[in-house]
Amino acid sequence: MDDRELIGRVLAGDPRAERELYEAHVDRVFRLSCRMAGDPHRAQDYTQETFIRAFRRLGDFRGESALSTWLCAIAVSVTLNGIRAQRRARDREVGLDDAPAIGSRSIEADPDLKTRMAHAIDELPDGYRTVFVMHDVEGYTHQEIASALGVQPGTSKAQLFRARAKLRTALADFARD
Amino acid sequence: MLLDDRRHDDGQDDDRDDLPDEPLEPSLLAAAREYHRPPEPPREAMWRAIQAERRRARAVRPARRRWVAWAAAAAAVLAVGVGIGWMSRTALPHNGGASTASWGPPGASPRINETAYRMATVEHLGQSEAFLTLFRASVQSAGQERLASGTARQLLATNRLLLDSPAAADRRTRLLLEDLELVLAEIAQLAADDRPDDRTLIREGLDRGGVLSRLRTEVPAGSTPTRGDL
Repeated sequence: MDDRELIGRVLAGDPRAERELYEAHVDRVFRLSCRMAGDPHRAQDYTQETFIRAFRRLGDFRGESALSTWLCAIAVSVTLNGIRAQRRARDREVGLDDAPAIGSRSIEADPDLKTRMAHAIDELPDGYRTVFVMHDVEGYTHQEIASALGVQPGTSKAQLFRARAKLRTALADFARD
Repeated sequence: MLLDDRRHDDGQDDDRDDLPDEPLEPSLLAAAREYHRPPEPPREAMWRAIQAERRRARAVRPARRRWVAWAAAAAAVLAVGVGIGWMSRTALPHNGGASTASWGPPGASPRINETAYRMATVEHLGQSEAFLTLFRASVQSAGQERLASGTARQLLATNRLLLDSPAAADRRTRLLLEDLELVLAEIAQLAADDRPDDRTLIREGLDRGGVLSRLRTEVPAGSTPTRGDL
């Protein structure tokens, strides 16, 4: 069944169609949200919010992109807003005396590649990290990323290029292996 | 837009399409794919939460539409009242010693004025009766209380206008408007001062003063078209 037919059934009030739409996309939305948020519980909240918004605004979906891309755009927006809100709340809670400890993890204390890579990805600017996670980690195309983020595919490609360069620099010792 | 920082701290233009696509080395890529590796999605739990939220939203939406309709109707009654008030004030003698019988534009029949007031009063009482019936039956959450208090404030404004007009010359109508004012004022306070017992007290007050039954007596059947929506 194509997107248009499924959407038509959802808008007509068919509860089975709602469930079909959810089942078809929930894994992808949850995975992306979890990758970006780094916390499965928050990812669960963001995924729920994504589908609640999607069902509410489904009548506005014009079919200019695939339904999966449209859902992805909502998921990215919901997740990034959630991450920013969480960051603001954390910044309020952390006193100045504690601030230097954040982000200065000791590389020597944690030489494992996966951990070093996770830290390096965390250190990327938001834009780089989002594109890198979507493309290299979750396998989205530049076209999908561009549609979801509202940018040109060239911007997505450039962001990915720079993200990889930063990661290579941060993990230079491992890259040589 | 998310990626609006096309020129970054390092001064690089970030909107270029001609950069080479050099994939990460396999070991780095494998490590990257472990980044925040998601567990199995809790599909059922999320679906239940989504459905619960959608049911809640559907339950609130019709009620919201009804409150908005009442607010619009109350505003219309208020406009009628203001119009009556304006007509009446233009006709007031400058010595301020007017009796209710002397209100009205020069040459206007007192009978026409009485009819206009009675129509506005009946309309207002009908709206109030429908609003209080709805309030009594359905206000259960703080969100709805805020909507109810907004409508109550609108009705309260109309109520006070009518209390200050010849419409209150009739003793029974005046007493009803005075009792109604107390109830509407209490509901109008709900959002600002949200105590759990307030709704119970208001409902008990409605029952004790018989405001609803008196309203129903005053309002001729079918005089408020929107009542059928309840």
